[in-house]
Amino acid sequence: MPLAPGFNIDEVVITAMARQLHGEVLVSSVTAFGSLAAHLAKRRYAPDLAVLSTPESGMDVTPMPTLTLGQFLTDVQQGIPLTMEDIFDAIFRDRFRIWINPSQIDQWGNTNITCIGDWYHPKVALVGARGIPEDTSHLSETFYYLLNHSLRSVVAQVDFRSGAGNGESRAFLGRFGAPTVLVTDLGVFSFDGPEGRMAVRSLHPGVTLEEVQERTGFPLAVPSGKIPETDPPSPEDIRIIREADPLEVRKLELMSGPEAAEKFVAIYERERQTFHATYPRVGKWGR
Amino acid sequence: MDKRMSIDEVVEAIPSGATVAIGGSSISRKPMALVRALARSDKRDLTVIVDVGGPDVDLLLGTGRVRRVIYAFVGFEVLGLAPHFRRARQQNLAEFEEWTEYTVMAGLDATIKRVPFMPTHATLGTDVLKVNRSFKEMQDPFGGETLVAVPALAPDVALIHVNYADVQGNGVILGDGHVDVLCAKAAQATYMSCERILSSAELQRFGRDVQILRVYSKGVVEIPWGAHPTGCAPDYRTDLRHLEDYLKAAQSEEGWRRYESEFVDVDHRQYLANHGGPEELVSRLKV
Repeated sequence: MPLAPGFNIDEVVITAMARQLHGEVLVSSVTAFGSLAAHLAKRRYAPDLAVLSTPESGMDVTPMPTLTLGQFLTDVQQGIPLTMEDIFDAIFRDRFRIWINPSQIDQWGNTNITCIGDWYHPKVALVGARGIPEDTSHLSETFYYLLNHSLRSVVAQVDFRSGAGNGESRAFLGRFGAPTVLVTDLGVFSFDGPEGRMAVRSLHPGVTLEEVQERTGFPLAVPSGKIPETDPPSPEDIRIIREADPLEVRKLELMSGPEAAEKFVAIYERERQTFHATYPRVGKWGR
Repeated sequence: MDKRMSIDEVVEAIPSGATVAIGGSSISRKPMALVRALARSDKRDLTVIVDVGGPDVDLLLGTGRVRRVIYAFVGFEVLGLAPHFRRARQQNLAEFEEWTEYTVMAGLDATIKRVPFMPTHATLGTDVLKVNRSFKEMQDPFGGETLVAVPALAPDVALIHVNYADVQGNGVILGDGHVDVLCAKAAQATYMSCERILSSAELQRFGRDVQILRVYSKGVVEIPWGAHPTGCAPDYRTDLRHLEDYLKAAQSEEGWRRYESEFVDVDHRQYLANHGGPEELVSRLKV
């Protein structure tokens, strides 16, 4: 881990993500990182955000990452229920933001969650484009994050474009849906290099440009002069993240294999108890 | 009119070759008892339409019921990829057509509004537009802009699971609505399972949560735990332990045969008994 000692990568990444959010828009909670970034942003940086508890429901809740209880969170906090039509109308009207965690992203900011290899004969069939094409044709800001910055995930060209980046993908699209920022475990990247290619914006504390370039599948555009260091999380940022995620669901995204399996089971067994301790039943389901 | 039916009567009403839209979303409120009954039937060559698919699509592929899948996403969310979907995609064991979340909704909506297509910007600049043979690029007849024409999706049958219904076919959905209302309105025949049948007077007290209107439903089946192993808020959360067992079973032919005999080729009463009965499920899954 190249990160400087004293920092936890999850907290550095979530804080960097939170500082990108602003304005009065819906923010979807699909992953623990995405929902914690939205929560931290609302508490510290962007008080007008309307944070959701699941991909599609519960406007104006305080997210609490769990494995299965997002819809229950909407109820106990009496969040405002939404429909899928509300979500896509907000996307088309540019009143929606989401942090997308793609399997691959390329130098143009094209993203892939569909397949590795050719679509017709995939080496690995992933999940399918889901709602990414809607985001990359309508939102004035699109946000991506990756926790395993490597030659497999940050590539010259994605195997399949589930989401449209810059370059030729923009031909019929104009600026709406163009990639805005990528936060990884190594740094923060923008898409304002030559012809809209990926450029280094800042590197996390302790990370060098050489390391990042070694783990990137194309030559990165680099700003002239000294590369800024990512502003690390403040003690207040860290406190808010830890309080909002007592089960440490966020850590699952950084784990794999038996370690992840063990953590997973522990969270699943404990989440109802923690949930009820944090939020007593006040919604209409509990009455 | 009393529209109560048995699970077997619903399956009998679905001919081989039918186009079946399934409600719910990945591991939330899928009509799994109806899907399992279809999976153990002798129906063949189904076309399945899902917006966000999960164990529903995966089980029907694993038991060989499906010729064609129209999907925006198929996966098990926090648990990873869908094993039979992945195998079928990689070995070309069925036909697949990748859509997106909004375009599936738009296709259903086109049928509801009795128009041949809906225009959108979604999928411009992505490879979904290249591999999806049903979409067509079109020119806006007023301003000349390039758009995508999404053809109408016309399911013969919709299968959905709701919290409560009355015998006339009104249905209450308390958690996230997903695309169930669109499925119910677009299909020629909508069959709805529910956790509990209530009197029409009791049902009307739910106000706006009565989302499925009886003019669209053809049959109602009372099936407690009818969404299991997916979740059905607020009645129960997703059974991630069962889904983990499913993923393990799907890794080998022998494991899968065993899974089928224990959890698919049995009626719903036996299915619940093989989980230790409803009391055991309540203790693990009630929130």
